[in-house]
Amino acid sequence: MTQILFEQRKKELVKYYRRFHRLPSYDELADLYGVESKGSLHKYVEKFVEEGLVCKTDGGRLIPTTKLYGLRVLGTVQAGFPTAAEEELVDTLSLDQFLIKHPEASYMLTVSGDSMIEAGIMPGDMVIVERGRAPKPGEIVVAEVDHDWTMKYYLRRGDEVILRPANKKYPDIRPRQELNVAGVVTSVIRKYK
Amino acid sequence: MSIGLWETSAHLRSFPRAIAHVDGDAFFASCETALHPELRGRVVITGKERGIVSSLSYEAKARGVRRGMVLHEVRKICPDAVILSSDYETYSLFSKRMFAIMRRFTSQVEEYGIDEGFADLTGMQGPLHMSYEDIARTMKRTIDTELGFTVSVGLAPTKSLAKIASKWQKPNGFTSVPGRAIKDYLGALDVSKIWGVGPNTAKYMYSLGIHTAHDFISKPFEYVAAKFNKPHQEMWHELNGKSVWPIVAEEKTTYASISKTKTFTPPSNDPEYVVAQLTRNLENACIKARRHGLVARKLVVYLRTQQFEHAVMEAKITRASNFPHDLLPHMRTLCAKIFKRGTHYRATGIVLADLQSDTAIQSSLFEPAIQMEKFQRVYAAVDALDEQFGKHTVHLGGSQKTFTHTQHASDRTKNLFVGENAGQHLNIPKLVVVV
Repeated sequence: MTQILFEQRKKELVKYYRRFHRLPSYDELADLYGVESKGSLHKYVEKFVEEGLVCKTDGGRLIPTTKLYGLRVLGTVQAGFPTAAEEELVDTLSLDQFLIKHPEASYMLTVSGDSMIEAGIMPGDMVIVERGRAPKPGEIVVAEVDHDWTMKYYLRRGDEVILRPANKKYPDIRPRQELNVAGVVTSVIRKYK
Repeated sequence: MSIGLWETSAHLRSFPRAIAHVDGDAFFASCETALHPELRGRVVITGKERGIVSSLSYEAKARGVRRGMVLHEVRKICPDAVILSSDYETYSLFSKRMFAIMRRFTSQVEEYGIDEGFADLTGMQGPLHMSYEDIARTMKRTIDTELGFTVSVGLAPTKSLAKIASKWQKPNGFTSVPGRAIKDYLGALDVSKIWGVGPNTAKYMYSLGIHTAHDFISKPFEYVAAKFNKPHQEMWHELNGKSVWPIVAEEKTTYASISKTKTFTPPSNDPEYVVAQLTRNLENACIKARRHGLVARKLVVYLRTQQFEHAVMEAKITRASNFPHDLLPHMRTLCAKIFKRGTHYRATGIVLADLQSDTAIQSSLFEPAIQMEKFQRVYAAVDALDEQFGKHTVHLGGSQKTFTHTQHASDRTKNLFVGENAGQHLNIPKLVVVV
């Protein structure tokens, strides 16, 4: 067992734990490492125990320790001494998850105009646009109106659709021929540096 | 007729298994159109950096453009064509999304290519409260709306039939081939259109008087067993509605070989530049090999000239490796043998073959083991740095020239968000409309 292989397998174990919130069985571990015999796993497990990443129950089953939750997946450096607080962090949202609810349907777009400036969307901002769902009145949409692209509030008056800018300089748009809503704006991102 | 599972009860046996094949319609061109809506309805072609058509929109197809066509020919027949450089990063993002959507319906999804895959829906009617046809249709509709372009879907009891079904009606097609309908579909299908039948097999089949897929499945199995080898015997079962090819749901980690090729514009006759390109191919191939824990025992070097002629040469490696340091001397020797002075080259490629697991490396008798340990540590560090800061953050001096030379850059690389760099972009496709 080289040190590199061990570190790599340790990383895989941590990744597995992050993903499934439990430790793999010996069978699953053999699968994970692509080895035929479970016997060869023994030395790894012993070393994981030695490093305090996992404990063995009396029945020989593996259980995680707090040290395992606290381990960073990237790199091999451990991020400080694990504290009880880290247990609470297992179920937190990443910024990705927070900003993007439907990852397969979300797209980024750089804003160039100032028509939504009073809604807090400035030229140069990035917006996340969600495709494939009908907009609700009051939501901000990216739409093609009579062959022009625009980003506006989506409003309804009876059967009529109104696209309203958030800037007094511009008038409402009432689509004459064609309205094609590409997506609904779900977040705005502004990065300063 | 020797086989016919469904014949006992036509309705019940329509889908002994239910396999959906999802196939993107003009995938690369469609990705571009989805992000650049102003391209809708136009002749869109990708592959500018290679000088030949790599993907084309259906509008292009209607105008007589074909895959592999040289671009100046395209400009002749379609002066209004929009010709774009390939943006594989974006295509991969769309590809991942397509498979992610398929996985909402079943965990058994095989990523067969960047733009096509299989989903095993067997047994999912109950949990999803839908018939197989409804599941497959919903899957298609979801992909179409979330990706912003269409796919074609075939549903059948086997992979082979599903593949035929998805091609049946394209683009934006949905074709369901239940067991009892197989014969209707295969009767008019030329054997050369079957997945897995190449030109040689097709010729052989014609010589046996087998012209349509239906001719083939109508032969008794004894005949097929006597005349064909195993893959085609399996194909016979598949086309008869009996599933024998499994869905391979795991991510592919076993490779027979790893190859990395790169076309560069303009073509070059500078031996140093060509070697630099090869070095970068080698680094790329080694990165992939290391990621999958594989080492190569054979190295193939490949050069393509401006006139599309090829020169190839290979060498056995005494000690299997996935470190550019080990393979570089071999690469240089091979390249020196096939490189012709004065010739302009437009592409280079490296293939790592005869792969084996890196846990079983045999060190040679005369080589100090400490050297290998050293490389392992160096490359572990290189891989860690690349993971954090982008691919090729640390690279060999020999490939430096490929980074300083102006290279084909896709639109995505030219328009960066604040905080992105040339090597690392946000993993979300970027819509390009002015709002």
